[in-house]
Amino acid sequence: MERRSFLKGFGAAAACAVALPTIASAAEEKKSAGPNEMNFETAVAAITGGKALMPSAKVKIKAPEIAENGAVVPVKVTVESPMTSKDYVKAIHLLASKNGNVRCANIYLTPANGEAFFGTRIKLGGTQDVVAIAEMSDGTFLSAKQNVKVTIGGCG
Amino acid sequence: MNLSRRDFFYIATALGIGLPTIGAAASTPSRVDEVGLKDIYSFKARGNVTLLHICDMHAHIKPLYWREPSTLISAPNLTGTPGFLCGESFLKHYGMKGKTLDAYFDTFMNFDSLAHKFGKMGGISHMKTLINHIKKERGADNVLLLDSGDTWQGTGVALKTGGEAIVKAQNYLGVDVMVGHWEFTYGKKRVKELIEMLNAKFIAQNIIGDDSFADDFEESIFEPYTIMERGGAKIGIIGQAFPFTSTANPKEFTQGWSFGLRLDTLQSYVDKLRKEEKVDCVVVLSHDGFSVDQQVARHVKGIDFILSGHTHDPSPRPTVINGTVIVIAGSHGKYIGRLDIDIQNHKVKGYEYKLIPVASNLIPADPEGEALVRELYSPYDSELSEVLGITKSTLFKRDTFHSTFDQLINDSIIDAMDSDISFTPGYRWGTTVLGGDKITMDDVYDMTAITYPNVYTFELTGLHIRTLLEDIADNVFNANPLYQQGGDMSRLGGVSYEIRVGAASGKRITNIMVGGKPLSDSKVYKVSSWGGNLQNAGSNLKDSLTRPVYDVTAAYIRRQKNVNISGNSNVKLMDYDCGCPKKGAREC
Repeated sequence: MERRSFLKGFGAAAACAVALPTIASAAEEKKSAGPNEMNFETAVAAITGGKALMPSAKVKIKAPEIAENGAVVPVKVTVESPMTSKDYVKAIHLLASKNGNVRCANIYLTPANGEAFFGTRIKLGGTQDVVAIAEMSDGTFLSAKQNVKVTIGGCG
Repeated sequence: MNLSRRDFFYIATALGIGLPTIGAAASTPSRVDEVGLKDIYSFKARGNVTLLHICDMHAHIKPLYWREPSTLISAPNLTGTPGFLCGESFLKHYGMKGKTLDAYFDTFMNFDSLAHKFGKMGGISHMKTLINHIKKERGADNVLLLDSGDTWQGTGVALKTGGEAIVKAQNYLGVDVMVGHWEFTYGKKRVKELIEMLNAKFIAQNIIGDDSFADDFEESIFEPYTIMERGGAKIGIIGQAFPFTSTANPKEFTQGWSFGLRLDTLQSYVDKLRKEEKVDCVVVLSHDGFSVDQQVARHVKGIDFILSGHTHDPSPRPTVINGTVIVIAGSHGKYIGRLDIDIQNHKVKGYEYKLIPVASNLIPADPEGEALVRELYSPYDSELSEVLGITKSTLFKRDTFHSTFDQLINDSIIDAMDSDISFTPGYRWGTTVLGGDKITMDDVYDMTAITYPNVYTFELTGLHIRTLLEDIADNVFNANPLYQQGGDMSRLGGVSYEIRVGAASGKRITNIMVGGKPLSDSKVYKVSSWGGNLQNAGSNLKDSLTRPVYDVTAAYIRRQKNVNISGNSNVKLMDYDCGCPKKGAREC
């Protein structure tokens, strides 16, 4: 099966799923909290070790305002940084605040990367914030978020 | 004494000249005609360049009646702002008088009597006469005709020719540049064929290849911008297609293309036009919607003019935000926006704008256009001119929650499918049939002519229906225009409900009744819908019932012969006292 046709099938399934965001998330909450089943606050604490997030304009998220397909939402994160051995981005963490599994990706970087940039596609189970956390070499955690609307659409 | 067109018609009404009479015959056509045309043409010409703007014609090459909404509700923060004005609030905002030609074009008020007085609106042969007049006045080399899209779809003749009839009409009008939305519902292959036939340039900066196996992955599918020289000035025009085409319309038509607002690339094209291409004026030709484009002007710097479309707003005056001038020219060919621009030393020094009503009784038809319309309609005349029945009350489309023509369509569907609930989409295109007039097959196509016309019948639980209604409401009433999709609320048959537009997302809709009984979350309902993708959310699709909505509606009207739709809305608006509230108010 080609990746393309696989994604197509996935998209069609998502169009049905988004009609039931409340039901799906209610079911998720009842499960025990394994490593992939933490709520948003717990997941953030697991990344930062309890340190506070600092919202920062240095972290830029590029994501659509309204998802064309909730199953494959393109997200790009750029962090402004000189990427020298003294000052660089150690990791970019990508989270979806209301997904069953809120942690989407952890990307670990070194100064040799030259640029703190990461792009991927994530699945969103409903309208929610996509949050990027930049773990800096000085031990601080910078963040940015964007709301992405997931809708069945085509009705209005 | 210097009378504007508006003043003249007001005085004419006050003096009883051309008072509405019973029947279609205008009372004093020669008098109204003589002065009216001069007044329609009158314009304080300015500068060296004229941009003529049309949007959302929806394939109406013949004149039509089109009644503006009597309810146009938004999130409270947007109430009474341009894009959310109707009726009395519209007249007050723009300083207009009632019962004038302008009031007839721009509002629903006294629509029937003014329709008998002033006649039909739009039509390419009347538009062409107006365009020719302006080109003669300004010099053809100084004029551009720009089309904000939703042009190829919306009538029977458009659907039956796969959009070709309308491309011929655009070539006849002399459209120079266009952008798209419903255009894409002919599918990628047909869109490319039609662009081959089109004399105009088709541009879009916000359609990008997203098939990673294709050559155009992450590339622009269309030219993002074009540069035109007029009146000695270089004008950069950036195209903005409808950003939410792939969610508002079936994805299969545009598989492999990604849409979106893409304000970051829009900004980079504005900068490129200014710094590298050294244009004298930056124009965004847009199908974002009027309220979205006001947000665009807040986010993107350096745009001189946004020629907007999609939300069908007539806006007699431009809206200026952060130095960007935004205009929008209604819908259905009712208007041509004339924008004269004074460009000196590579900069815009000033402008003059007028939203010109295409009053088909006042602007003579161009014979060449009449011949073209006849030619384009001739293969379909016998089908389209069939009289299906007569309507007692006026059938219209526009309104936020409920319209008489949509009620007729929902009645037809429930009758044919024996379903509990029917969903008809809250599109903003269609037609208006005056009370007492015949309903033709052409009128039915005007309301339903889409490339995915099937009515689907399936099952949904009460909880599903509630969730779907909230989802649709959030697309229409989101407080942030960037998250709105620019349509009206879906129209429901068999259901009544209450809505608090200003309530939080997911908490707007209460007291849903189905067939007079409260909606039960666990109960399974038989639902019919068309024009959306609700069937994907449902189960137990009844394939044997699936039929095109225009056939279902036409059959019903043929059986009824005399149609009598009440104007009573099935939706109770809880946080406003009227349909056209003033800015920041509950009331009108």
